[in-house]
Amino acid sequence: MAGRAPLAGVRVADFTWVWAGPFCTLQLAHLGAEVIRVETATRPCVTRLLPPFADFEPGPNRSGYFNQYNQGKKSIALDLKRPEAIEAAQRLCAASDVVVENFAAGVMERMGLGWEVLRRLRADLIMIALSGYGATGPDSDKVSYGPAQVPLSGMSSVTGYRGFPPMHVGISYGDPTGGLHGAVAVLAALLHRARTGQGQYIDLSQWETSMAVLPEAICGWTMNGAAPERDGNRDAHMAPHGVFRAAGEDRWVALAVEDDAAWTRFAAAIGRPELASDPRWATAAARKQSEDELEEIVTAWTGARSPEEATATLQAAGVAAFTAATNRDLAEDPHLNARGFFVELPHPVVGTRKHVGVPWRMSESDCRVRGAAPCLGADTEQVLRDVCGYGAAEITRLREARALV
Amino acid sequence: MPAALDQLQVLEVGSGVAAAYGAKLLADLGAQVIKVEPPGGGDATRARGPFPGDVPHPEKSGLFLYLNANKRGITLDLTRPRGREVLERLAARADLLVHDVHPREMAGRGLDYERLSAMHPALVMTSIAPFGLGGPHAGYRGPDVVTWSAGGVAALNGEPTRPDLPPLKAFGDQSSFQAGLNAAIGSLGALFARLATGRGEHVEVCTQECLAAILELTFEFWPYCGLLASRLGAKPIQPLCFMECRDGWIFLCCVEEHQWKCLVDIMGKPEWASMELFADRLSRGANFDALQGFLQEWCREQSVHELYEAAQRRRVPLAPVSTMGDLLASPHLRARGFFAAIEHPVAGAVTVPGAPYKLSATPWTLRAPAPCLGQHTAEVLAEIGLDAAALAREAVV
Repeated sequence: MAGRAPLAGVRVADFTWVWAGPFCTLQLAHLGAEVIRVETATRPCVTRLLPPFADFEPGPNRSGYFNQYNQGKKSIALDLKRPEAIEAAQRLCAASDVVVENFAAGVMERMGLGWEVLRRLRADLIMIALSGYGATGPDSDKVSYGPAQVPLSGMSSVTGYRGFPPMHVGISYGDPTGGLHGAVAVLAALLHRARTGQGQYIDLSQWETSMAVLPEAICGWTMNGAAPERDGNRDAHMAPHGVFRAAGEDRWVALAVEDDAAWTRFAAAIGRPELASDPRWATAAARKQSEDELEEIVTAWTGARSPEEATATLQAAGVAAFTAATNRDLAEDPHLNARGFFVELPHPVVGTRKHVGVPWRMSESDCRVRGAAPCLGADTEQVLRDVCGYGAAEITRLREARALV
Repeated sequence: MPAALDQLQVLEVGSGVAAAYGAKLLADLGAQVIKVEPPGGGDATRARGPFPGDVPHPEKSGLFLYLNANKRGITLDLTRPRGREVLERLAARADLLVHDVHPREMAGRGLDYERLSAMHPALVMTSIAPFGLGGPHAGYRGPDVVTWSAGGVAALNGEPTRPDLPPLKAFGDQSSFQAGLNAAIGSLGALFARLATGRGEHVEVCTQECLAAILELTFEFWPYCGLLASRLGAKPIQPLCFMECRDGWIFLCCVEEHQWKCLVDIMGKPEWASMELFADRLSRGANFDALQGFLQEWCREQSVHELYEAAQRRRVPLAPVSTMGDLLASPHLRARGFFAAIEHPVAGAVTVPGAPYKLSATPWTLRAPAPCLGQHTAEVLAEIGLDAAALAREAVV
């Protein structure tokens, strides 16, 4: 809808890096905040240097990784090793409602941009640090990379094929989980500030946000001293439940029979109605008992048809199923395209490319991706002039001091 | 200390993880949440566990107790007209109604935004659905294994050397946790907008989209390069791999060249490490078959903790593959006070994950255990001038 943006007039100074922090500020940009990323060409964000590069041609403004998670933001180039740049960054923070950072512990303080400094520049400031281990505690100075968060959190020890080693989950899951929790905390702090005028500091540990989504495993331990064993795609209560081979090269379909009524519908849908009344399969407990054999029955059916056909047949019968979608499947998904989920906005370097949009819709407010990701430093002059209050001569002086690279 | 959201009245019609986690995020920051459960069995997570001693009991599910602390709970049969009338009266004094009732069943449960909004224009209603409320697949069903696959995450995870093994989902109902997080963000956004407009609105959260939004760098390989992302692709950079030590598993993580040099030092500069095959991160990736054997042979003699600490002293981001026991025993997490103790009248003492963030002025709090089924029905109904006993005679509560 074309109403007002929820965070219209809220400015975010974004000192983040890689994925967790930029994913946090992306949510605020979707809601209409003016998010200003502080960057430097002397050490660009890792995601600017990683593929996929548009048409395989590397370049800091050509990465799909950066361009996905920085949509709708501005970029100011400041080399924070220069004192002139630190002063500009302080002015930016003083003119911002929210400061977001995910450097290693102590980096912002050493640059003169720590909470104790910034809160004096702006009394009602909200600042959030999204770190791997959190700002306090004996491990707070440890280094954390996205891929290492999944094993650290405990997720890997319970994820994997039965009898196989611990595994990853396919993405650096601690990053988006941390970033989304960060957005929740910032929005709650903004609501509190709107009512009371009070700002605050938020210490977010990605390790802790990753454990917040593992209660089944953690409570299994605290209650019984036992963790769930790695069991592939199976579920303790539902069967069949998994990702099954379909016709075609490396094509798979996920399906779950949620209860015994769904089993009856499933049996009819695959042309084996007799399975519904067979006591070997009629109850979830019985199906769990002979799950290997059960999965052979399922695969005999899924293996003979495409995942799309299996999905259509099962969903029409009220049984949960869907293709294990690849990136191409998603980009071409008729449902997501019909919903207008994808965003294609012009970018000065890579042109118009398909990007992922906002996973929620608002019936009244203006909530959307507001623009393509910025080129590095695209908004430097505008932000220095309109936000930090520098005149043209001062901007020239900053440029000559090599602070604006 | 004040709570950030203590003025907020929330009505949750949730069964499972998604709406319950979205409402929990708000409850833990002070919101007053009333959870509506169907009479009889209540929320589905009451039957899921884990349970003490593995004995199922509707008041002892660890998952339910975690998700629903800080909430009051009532029972209400929304399939009956009288139950839907009561829901309307409760919605009339709420700021936010969050639910994850399937779109096919929403109207039959009284979750009609147009109608509720006409009566109470300031209401924010947030609907979570596996495939959203509109579009050709809106009626599709989707528990976690299905949405995790539909959102493109499952296809990214597997064992590259074993194409016969299927795409693998992550442990736990992660699809619903992601949907709940997005629901909290959309809801808070709408509540912030309401400060300026005075009007509520309908927020729609699509779980499939929540997952398609977290594919790291893989989605863009198609629009940027026309390349398929696959679970079978070998990692271009190594070591980024799991290794078995003498007392558990560790994750080796050397992204930068200097990190690899530090690890080689820690290993005592073995001769094989100077082989041309392993000269840089890309060649280590290309020759991972050979590298893996050497690394595994060395790691098997190491202790996880000693290797982790030795690497971290050199700023190399290795991490242990934490078991649940490791997490509970971590001195760091203990110093931060991460785990929280719930004292529940039926389940007794239960330790659960605690604050995911520390807000200096308005901290996360644990104020009350999860409600027993229908525990607050009489209390809440009395607040809107209704007699629970009369409704119980009509089998509505």
